[in-house]
Amino acid sequence: MGVVEVQGLEKVFRVPEREAGIGAATRSLFRRQWREVRAVDGISFEIEPGEVVGFLGPNGAGKTTTLKMLSGLLHPSGGEVRVLGHVPNRRERDYLRRMTLVMGNRNQLQWDLPALDSFELNRAIYRLPVDEFRQTRDELVELLDIGDLVRKPVRQLSLGERMKVEVVGSLLHLPQVLFLDEPTIGLDVTMQKRIRGFVADYNARYGATVLLTSHYMADVEALCRRVIVIHHGRLLFDGQLEALTHRFAPLKTIEAVLADGETVSLQVPKDEVSGATAQLLAEREVVDLTVEDPPIEDVIEQVFATEAEVVA
Amino acid sequence: MPVPRPLVVAWTYLRLGVMNEMQYRANFFVAIFQSLLQVGVGLAVLALVYSHTSELNGWTQSDLLVILGVQILLGGVVHATVQPNMERLADEVRDGKLDFALTRPEDAQLIVSVRQLQLWQLVEVVSGATVIGVGVSRLPTGMDAPHTLAFLALLGVGALLLYCFWLILATGSFWVVNMWFLSELFEGVYQTGRWPIGIYPGWLRYSMTYLVPVGFAVTVPAQAMTNRLSLGTVGVALAFAVVLAAVTRRFWKLGLRRYSGASA
Repeated sequence: MGVVEVQGLEKVFRVPEREAGIGAATRSLFRRQWREVRAVDGISFEIEPGEVVGFLGPNGAGKTTTLKMLSGLLHPSGGEVRVLGHVPNRRERDYLRRMTLVMGNRNQLQWDLPALDSFELNRAIYRLPVDEFRQTRDELVELLDIGDLVRKPVRQLSLGERMKVEVVGSLLHLPQVLFLDEPTIGLDVTMQKRIRGFVADYNARYGATVLLTSHYMADVEALCRRVIVIHHGRLLFDGQLEALTHRFAPLKTIEAVLADGETVSLQVPKDEVSGATAQLLAEREVVDLTVEDPPIEDVIEQVFATEAEVVA
Repeated sequence: MPVPRPLVVAWTYLRLGVMNEMQYRANFFVAIFQSLLQVGVGLAVLALVYSHTSELNGWTQSDLLVILGVQILLGGVVHATVQPNMERLADEVRDGKLDFALTRPEDAQLIVSVRQLQLWQLVEVVSGATVIGVGVSRLPTGMDAPHTLAFLALLGVGALLLYCFWLILATGSFWVVNMWFLSELFEGVYQTGRWPIGIYPGWLRYSMTYLVPVGFAVTVPAQAMTNRLSLGTVGVALAFAVVLAAVTRRFWKLGLRRYSGASA
């Protein structure tokens, strides 16, 4: 049985709509026009215990809405969700104590106080026994090497430092399910790596299940073997990351450095790679040669472009 | 006996709030200045009124001092604890930050009600208590223990009523997203509590008692202090508090359902 089970999930928002301009604004005071937005439009998937899954899609694809339904903040308009056997929007304590939601652009620690004080608050809210709490806290603090940061007021920390203490704060109750919404947004490369490594460690150490959205493909490549891609609220792809490349990027890139210093770059369909390489080697004097899959960013772009054509 | 968990959570928040506020000592002096001004204006108005008459609808000047004191004291409680929490709630509904309070395995109403503290506003509690003290010392009847106890209990009821009123207002932000006028609305209404509700015409008196429970919150405890209290009033006040608390809870749940039903 999956830790996360999603069946035909839908979320429809009703949003007021009007033309630009003062006239339209006045009219909408009295007669509102509503438009239905299908943010999530019938997606289904299942996640097994201990999996780390990348949840991808362009802005507005419905990722955050889905995460909010999974963490019990939003009621689905249709379909079914179960996480750890619970229906999230019932917000049962047993469920809330076993999951965590981290949003990269939001801050949940006390701004003016050292993080250690906020951690105490979490101890009270999650009803953690003192010994267990201290042990977990020290373990996580050490894992991220933030011993001196947790003693400074949060407002004095840099964005990256803040994210590190933020993540530790969200994991003190040792949740079994992690929903991470852009956990590395705005961080520099080193800091991204650090957070990434930490998520991997946590997953390995506690066997937690992780669903992660990110715009940084490096995050996804480093952490997730499986990805779920959604666009316009619909599921586009669910499977291994390599399979995604295989399916949506039928071209490989051949790069060759020639004897005269010139570089040649060719986009070739997969089944013609060996022929093209042979031909190149036969016709020119080649010093160096590489054959590569396109960068995952390009693949993802390709996925969305394909979808757009289908819809149009 | 183990301490009930909600109390532990509230207590932890309170401690954090105090630590937070300790960093802003300047606010302490601002609060003192504010409170002195408030008491001064209150006293001046009272003196002005009683220079023309010796009694206002059966209340002497000393009686009204007690009312003024209660109004300032309860105002201090609200400004220190209720108002900052409710303003934060309204803000968070608007910018979506309420999410974090809702992912906690604790009652959401409890969390949104205890997160903030404006410690230094408690200066008003001290100055309110002083004004009450002065008023009582000038009463011919004096005070006995049962009345003092009733007074304290009714102050608690008054604080509960004002909390419910504020929470209902703030819960409104689930529907009306921008509620910038909340504090102004409350302050405006609350200032009317400086006078005994009996002096207002019928329709206003009723709305100040039941619709906006300022009358109940302020006048009833003052009645206990000035020997005007009947058991009937106590009963009505208690019953009203229970009903209002239940209605507030229902309304809050309704608002929460809307939040999770419609917002993006």
